[in-house]
Amino acid sequence: MKGHASKELWDWEIRPETPWFSTSLKELFQYKDLIIQLVRKDFLGSYQQTLLGPFWVLLQPLLTVLIYVLVFNKFIGISTGSTPPFLFNLIGITLWGLFSETFLQLSKTFSQNIEIFSKVYFPRVIVAISSLSLQIILFGIQLLLLCCAYSYFAATGIVDFNFARIFLIFPAIVVTAGIAFGGGLIFSVLTAKYRDLLPLLHMLIRLLMFVCPIFYSVAMVPENIQWVVKINPLSSQFELFRYSFLGSGTVEVPELLYSGGFMIIIVLLGTLLFNKMSDRLMDVL
Amino acid sequence: MSKLVIKADNISKRYMLGTIGSGSLRRDMQNWWSSSFLNNDKTDIDNPLGKTDSKDQIWALKDINLEIKEGETWGIVGSNGAGKSTFLKILSRIIKPTSGSIKGRGRISSLLEVGTGFHSELTGRENIFISGHILGMKKAEIQQKFDEIVEFSGVENFLDTPVKRYSSGMYVRLAFAVAAHLEPDILIIDEVLAVGDAEFQKKCLGKMNDASTQKGRTIIFVSHNLQAVSNLCSNAIWLDKGSMRESGPSKTVINSYLNATFSKKWKHEVTDIKLAPGNENIRVTYIELIPHLANPYDVIDIRTPLTIKFRFYNANDNICLSTDLLLFTSMGDCIFDVPSKPTIYNRGFVEGECTIPGNFLNDGSFYFTLHFSKDTSIELFSFDNCLMFDIADYRENSNWYDKWWGYVRPNFPLLLNPVGENNLLK
Repeated sequence: MKGHASKELWDWEIRPETPWFSTSLKELFQYKDLIIQLVRKDFLGSYQQTLLGPFWVLLQPLLTVLIYVLVFNKFIGISTGSTPPFLFNLIGITLWGLFSETFLQLSKTFSQNIEIFSKVYFPRVIVAISSLSLQIILFGIQLLLLCCAYSYFAATGIVDFNFARIFLIFPAIVVTAGIAFGGGLIFSVLTAKYRDLLPLLHMLIRLLMFVCPIFYSVAMVPENIQWVVKINPLSSQFELFRYSFLGSGTVEVPELLYSGGFMIIIVLLGTLLFNKMSDRLMDVL
Repeated sequence: MSKLVIKADNISKRYMLGTIGSGSLRRDMQNWWSSSFLNNDKTDIDNPLGKTDSKDQIWALKDINLEIKEGETWGIVGSNGAGKSTFLKILSRIIKPTSGSIKGRGRISSLLEVGTGFHSELTGRENIFISGHILGMKKAEIQQKFDEIVEFSGVENFLDTPVKRYSSGMYVRLAFAVAAHLEPDILIIDEVLAVGDAEFQKKCLGKMNDASTQKGRTIIFVSHNLQAVSNLCSNAIWLDKGSMRESGPSKTVINSYLNATFSKKWKHEVTDIKLAPGNENIRVTYIELIPHLANPYDVIDIRTPLTIKFRFYNANDNICLSTDLLLFTSMGDCIFDVPSKPTIYNRGFVEGECTIPGNFLNDGSFYFTLHFSKDTSIELFSFDNCLMFDIADYRENSNWYDKWWGYVRPNFPLLLNPVGENNLLK
């Protein structure tokens, strides 16, 4: 505050303490070129010297669906009702892909970019935003695949298409991505400090997958243990996502509010923690 | 009067030694909670005097004050671990100081390594854009300078090859080319010139020189290459164990730095003859290296003539005695062996003197050995490594910053005469 007393005007100031919220949206906007470049770099970089290249984006959910249909529907015999098992699983897997990939990539923000972070300054959240953007783009491609499959089933009259209902996918996508973003930011700080948390994180994601209605719907879960699934804030979004396509599923407003509120809190918490810790982590890494 | 662009007030940086944090999540959480929300530093409670256990912490920087004006070039010198890199990292916002503040004006870019943000799988072309953006260039800026960057790097033919297939030289050239075309108001450079061949180093230093002299940019430069610092920078600061020992014009600062750090063994003098180095034949009571310097605090550089004076006691009568003065490099190679004329001496003290002219030895570390012999072949005593000294580099109007080759650097005239084209045939 002493700076205001003098007439000198400075463009920037470096102080020992980090405020909880130091990066303004205006500053982030100045770095939009960098975000675009980082997305490009990650996208191009991950498909160099591969056989199928970007086709993996489509192949991965397709192969997963194939396995799920075989294991869960054919071997175990989980019934998907009137919906074809292929479509039922593809819907769940597409949204789950967005969540798990975003969460995992974001939680590696520090551990994978330490080389750059220790040599040059830019708001660290830029990297997180670019990871999120890339995952949303990849999700978009997978969503197109889903829409193709869906149109086929809708055209043949196997599933019921409703124009107004389909727009409900957007809140589901936003909330799911938001929870992944916030959680990823928190874990990026934690894994930077405690390296052994990363394998733990992989396990956490796998566990979370089973308490999430991906290859089953909440209605199939026995009533007395439904709370296990419902306590997962993602569950209602998966139900909503599936509802918007199929018109069936357990969509309850309180659960959606719980889920949305959870997202807002975790995004805020993640952003603040990430911002606060990013400078201090540089001394640790 | 140009305006201040950087003003550092009492910058200090403390590092904790050993395991960082307490090692347990629970205690870290407690510490973090108390220091972030309750606003009390735990260390201060444990030690009311504010002195934390000095074994567990190290002050990488202590109370650095610095004011830099627009267009100035500053060099930072100091031995390893003096805090140079820490200071640059604080200036470039990578780490936070423990206390103090830095205020500044204008865009700042830091070049702490070459190839920041390079992705080895991607092509040279892609990497120019990525690295440029990471270093803070705008898209239009890179597009505008793209051809210039490619030309500077000299990798035109490999622009669409992944950089992982580049030779290390090409990689560095491309990386530096991007960095050299940054146009911030303040440029921070750390030791990047340690890479690349001499030719390329010259090009880089030239580019940096242009940036400061023609475009009026402020440059802060850390290097172990004192020659480069003194040629490129008008001012310098000397950091020593985290504190600022001196700041001012680069020549003065570098001189003091060299004087304090170079190893010196310039004089031996013993009053008690029995303790003097030697044996029953010879005792050396005094030997000294006297550089011919205008100012006693100046540094010996390649231009300085050196005089060696010595006195020894000869214990034998009627002996044909000669001494040899041998000069060795720090690697142990003998550069010369200067003998005295063998002469008959009687018991008593003998004094000797020898002067090495300036502009003869190259820069480096050297030591003398004084050798005594009887009848020119029988060794009486050898006073090994009796004097040790360093010679600093000095170059005038030279753009060559690399180590000058050779142990000696005599300036024999090397003359070139143009003889025309047709004379070749004769």
